[in-house]
Amino acid sequence: MTLLLKQLFALFRLLNSDTGTNQIAAGVACGLILGFAPMLSLQGLLVFVCMFLFRIQIGAALTSAVFFALLAWLVDPVSHALGTAILETESLRPLFTTLYNLPLVPLTQFYNSVVMGAGVLSLLLAPLVFFGSKRLIVAYREKVVARFKTSPFWKLWSGTTFFKWYSTYEKFHG
Amino acid sequence: MDKPAEGKKPVKRQGPIRVEAVVPLLIVVGATVLYFSLFFDSHLRRGLEYGATQANGAEVNIGRLQTSVFKASMLIGDVQMTDPLQPQRNRVQIGEMRFGMLWDALLRGKVVIEEAVIEDVQIDTPRKRAGRVLPPPPPQSGPSASDKMLATLKEEFSGNVVGDLAAIAAGANPSEQLQQITGELKSDAYMDALQRSMDETEQQWKTRMAALPRGEDFGALRTRLGDVKVNDVKDVAQLQAAVKELQAIRDEFEAKGKTIGEAGTVLAGDLKGLQSSFAGIDDVVREDVRGLQARMKLPTLDASNLSRALFGMDVLGKLQQARGYMEQAREYLPAKSAEQAKPAPRNIHKGRDYAFGHPRGYPAFWLRRALVTSRLPGEKGLSGEIRDVATDQALVGRPMIATLKGDFPQQEVAGVKAELVIDHTQSEPVERVQLSVARYGVAGRSLVDSPSVKLGFAKAAASAAFTAELRGERVDIQAGNRFHDVAFETTAQSPVVRGMMDASLAGLRTVSMDARVRGTWGDLDMSLSTNLGDALARGMKRYLQEKMDEARKRIQAQVDSRIAAQRQKLMARRAELESRLKSVLADKQAQVDKLRADLDAARRDLEQRKNAATDAQKQKLKQDANQLLDKWRR
Repeated sequence: MTLLLKQLFALFRLLNSDTGTNQIAAGVACGLILGFAPMLSLQGLLVFVCMFLFRIQIGAALTSAVFFALLAWLVDPVSHALGTAILETESLRPLFTTLYNLPLVPLTQFYNSVVMGAGVLSLLLAPLVFFGSKRLIVAYREKVVARFKTSPFWKLWSGTTFFKWYSTYEKFHG
Repeated sequence: MDKPAEGKKPVKRQGPIRVEAVVPLLIVVGATVLYFSLFFDSHLRRGLEYGATQANGAEVNIGRLQTSVFKASMLIGDVQMTDPLQPQRNRVQIGEMRFGMLWDALLRGKVVIEEAVIEDVQIDTPRKRAGRVLPPPPPQSGPSASDKMLATLKEEFSGNVVGDLAAIAAGANPSEQLQQITGELKSDAYMDALQRSMDETEQQWKTRMAALPRGEDFGALRTRLGDVKVNDVKDVAQLQAAVKELQAIRDEFEAKGKTIGEAGTVLAGDLKGLQSSFAGIDDVVREDVRGLQARMKLPTLDASNLSRALFGMDVLGKLQQARGYMEQAREYLPAKSAEQAKPAPRNIHKGRDYAFGHPRGYPAFWLRRALVTSRLPGEKGLSGEIRDVATDQALVGRPMIATLKGDFPQQEVAGVKAELVIDHTQSEPVERVQLSVARYGVAGRSLVDSPSVKLGFAKAAASAAFTAELRGERVDIQAGNRFHDVAFETTAQSPVVRGMMDASLAGLRTVSMDARVRGTWGDLDMSLSTNLGDALARGMKRYLQEKMDEARKRIQAQVDSRIAAQRQKLMARRAELESRLKSVLADKQAQVDKLRADLDAARRDLEQRKNAATDAQKQKLKQDANQLLDKWRR
């Protein structure tokens, strides 16, 4: 829980700083794939490993995974139709037969219509979400954060002793 | 974009690899190992309990579960499956199940068990607390044909025929219950329909008669016939004109006469239809009488009826059980055709799983062999084998076969032999069961439970045989029970009923029951016979026949009297209508016949004249020729 909260705080800090745009956007894109994949699946595990190994904002990934999981649930009928169409494509049948009988690959549950459809959807949408998130983050920083920092409330808050104490703490602990 | 802002602490540039994540990753791995060591078994046990409960329709408890990741093995102990019909008891209780799975298959996301051991199997054991029973799943698209069929049978067997008969024997006079027939009878509706039908027929014939040729039409033709100069024909031209006019009259007459002939044929058909509709009154009255008998709970006193009342529910229970198991088998071990049919998934969020197996591949689940053992003191126990439980039998190429033989001494069940074959390798699913039990104890089994009488087996030793073959939609089930050394338990307040029951059951020490159910799930034919039904029918007849005959006669008389007036009225009207229509048509037919005769006479007359004229011409020509010849000769 501490790890998770730390990641969430880091997400807010990064969002409100001028750095880490790519990390956050990659996190959101990973969250899309995670949210569209089944809870226990090989692809989910791979995304998790990637999140740990590469500098991807885990807080952004986990937060967006929750949102995208809800979205995936809503578009399940579409995923089912798409997955059914793909899995019933006769020309792909030999490929699926090979994959189905390979070790580990069936653990992705690609043979399920919803998993296949949602997986294809998430892979198609991931680049769009990545670049879209980047633009949104920049827009957020320019329009929301910058305006907030000029507000009287922020000026009042940044003048408090507590804020100064926290700023000093953050300087030392990062 | 990611440049540090001016005046702020410069941020140390970091590479894309998160080196510092090694420790958290190790923590995650450690936590995973810890989870599998401490919690996985418990969570898996609950998951299996949930899944098994859904499949069983009632609570399933798993006492303990141990897994070994490296050996890919599992031990499941103290399994209790609640009987949905008796939640206080377990349908099956299993001491321990052990099996190992193939890693090769697990890596492919499949579960293949080479050999499993199932020990200490018991049936019908008591539970510490009643198990939770799941509500029946809601039908997906209204009741199916088989649901309707089973509901019909249930309705038939849920009546208490023996109790109703006992009530009559105890003094209830069914004929007295019938003071006045209330409500609509089928006969009433039938009479009304008959009345409407006659109205329609009369109206139709009124229209048809109006369209038929009238007397004036025939009179006009007769006038034209009179104008033809048949007698004053002087030459061939006049003759030809007369023949032509006669032919025109005849054509017109034939057209008019034909409609009358056709009307006669249609009238005969309509009258015949009305006659058969009137004959149907008796059938409807009989139906009403039967309905009233049922409403008054006046059962028929025949052995077949009583047999179905005594054991019908038992057979129905077995039938429903067979259908339940069949549906589960077809859902979890789908036949080849079910895969090709591509049914819509029950839950759209779960999607549909496709199988892309090849001949040497694994199905999603395959239990190749399971040994069932249950050793009890005194060399008694149970042994059996289950082979090839596979989710894709077409891929495995073998049907599932389960055999079991032995005893359940705690339940006083001995000589159990069972064989179950589930063959879903082909497009048509087939399930076969053969079960025989050499001996089992029966105590306190109720057969009839009504306020007037209670009848049951206080004690008996029984044997049973059951065979079933379910092939696609077809059903063929045979069930036989023999109850030996039967001690009946009869309770009745009325001494007459007690006497009647005692007399019926006197000397009956063995009860046999044989049932056969055949047909399709939507149209089942059940035959059931038992010597207990025969004995009760014989015994009860002596007491009840007179009362029941009287009641039936009274019902018949009431129905007859209720419809008598209307019936009489309708019959009189039919007779009047019939005679009226026939008479009108007969008049017209007579006119037609008369005119036809006149026409024929005129035609004959003309024919004679034509022949005479031709002969005269011939004679004249002959004379002229002779004269010419004479001239030449001279």
